[in-house]
Amino acid sequence: MLRGRHIFDKGASKLLISRLRNIQKKEGYLSEENLKGVSKETKIPITRVYEVATFYSFFNVKKKGKHVIRLCNSPACLVNGSENILDIFEKLLGIKLGQTTEDGNFTLETTSCIGCCDESPAALVDEKAHTNLNEDKIKEIIEKCK
Amino acid sequence: MQVTKKTEFKGFEKAVNLKPEEVIQVVKKSGLKGRGGANFSTGLKWEFTRKSPNPTKVVICNADEGEPGTFKDKLILTENPSIVIEGIAIAAYAIGAKFAYIYLRAEYEYLKENLEKAIEEYKAELDKIELNIDIVMGAGAYICGDETAIMNSIQELRGEPHAKPPYPVESGLCNYPTTINNVATLANVPLIMLDEWDDLRLYSLSGNLDSPGVYEMPLGITTKELIEKGTPKEEIKALFFGCAGGCLPYDPEMKLDVESVNEKGAMLGSCTVIAIGKSQSIPKICKNIAEFFVHESCGKCTPCREGNFRVLEIINKIVENKADEDDLNALEDLAIFINKTSLCGLGQASNTHIKTALKYFREEFTK
Repeated sequence: MLRGRHIFDKGASKLLISRLRNIQKKEGYLSEENLKGVSKETKIPITRVYEVATFYSFFNVKKKGKHVIRLCNSPACLVNGSENILDIFEKLLGIKLGQTTEDGNFTLETTSCIGCCDESPAALVDEKAHTNLNEDKIKEIIEKCK
Repeated sequence: MQVTKKTEFKGFEKAVNLKPEEVIQVVKKSGLKGRGGANFSTGLKWEFTRKSPNPTKVVICNADEGEPGTFKDKLILTENPSIVIEGIAIAAYAIGAKFAYIYLRAEYEYLKENLEKAIEEYKAELDKIELNIDIVMGAGAYICGDETAIMNSIQELRGEPHAKPPYPVESGLCNYPTTINNVATLANVPLIMLDEWDDLRLYSLSGNLDSPGVYEMPLGITTKELIEKGTPKEEIKALFFGCAGGCLPYDPEMKLDVESVNEKGAMLGSCTVIAIGKSQSIPKICKNIAEFFVHESCGKCTPCREGNFRVLEIINKIVENKADEDDLNALEDLAIFINKTSLCGLGQASNTHIKTALKYFREEFTK
């Protein structure tokens, strides 16, 4: 059904995955309305748009905090104290893993390896990687995002 | 490090002075094997793609480095992105492709700019062979490191893998013959063309170490040679070869090559080594890995989707000291079953850690 050159002619920025990324960047998440809009524009059935939107960990179909903290949950970070780092984040933000702060500023999640294993424990805050985390660094991150 | 050498498209210039078939021969003769973990001959892959009857060919650079503990591609993309672009250009010339994609994982978005700059810088060279290189960003899915899943992701579908054959070299992106090479594989190619290449691997070394990092060394070194570079913080008891490669007890004299690691039931893969100190709990690490596979299983095939869910259930019991011998046996059976019946490499390798941990560290599971 999607076999053909149209993928090449489209250019990367027009591909479904890129469109969804761009919307999320602007809106913070992929609302039903936005997904319907993409479907209409691309003539890709809404079921398939939704299928793709819910496949990837970095896409959200529900609203999240303004800043998403993704703490790396790989074995390399684990053996270098990522559990402790999670506790610190929870304590300082006053939320549990998976929750969003009341002011809507932060969502706290874990993520699969982010490739910062030589500087573990590490976390992605939005797109940026923060490494060799400790309590002081975490305070700094939270302060900067406020 | 040889992969951080600035080759400035000189390897490409040498390549385009040869016939495409000759470039393939040079790469084939060099013995370069895929650095993504499968260790398949790169030259042969190119040859299959070139010989495939459809005249439209595609190159995909796999920059979806997701294996936990692996960060070799990140190093190359940070320090020497242009060597990757040059490698893509040589591959495209050799197989006769006009379209190339770099599939970059979402976690590395901050590296996209490096690649864009390198493409811009060498635009005139790429134009010589009418090559268009596009960057497609992933959105967080380990499975998209699988070559068939990458293609589905670019083709506006869920990033699910499909059974092979057909292989991408015959029927790949949009059914066109496609060569999919890892970042590190492509970074080696310009050096091969310039005759400045040694067959070295990039070991991603992490864990309970004072100086973790990427170390460029050949296959066949002893584990001691590698681990000493990392300066252990404490006595090392085990090595995990990423999440998919399983674990082995630390034996300083063991050789790090595909066969030696395989023989013991683990997999060297993309040369990822996580050194685990004596104070760490192996079942706890296995729990972490089981959570990873539950999260990353794409859900397409039942053994991987349901099996890994059950594996985690049992491991949770073990970590809570509620497991008995029957649980361990069930775990072992499940691990074998999932390995034998899963559709793709992810599922097949998703329980290597269970099999090897139960083989070598069983006493920790019954404590």
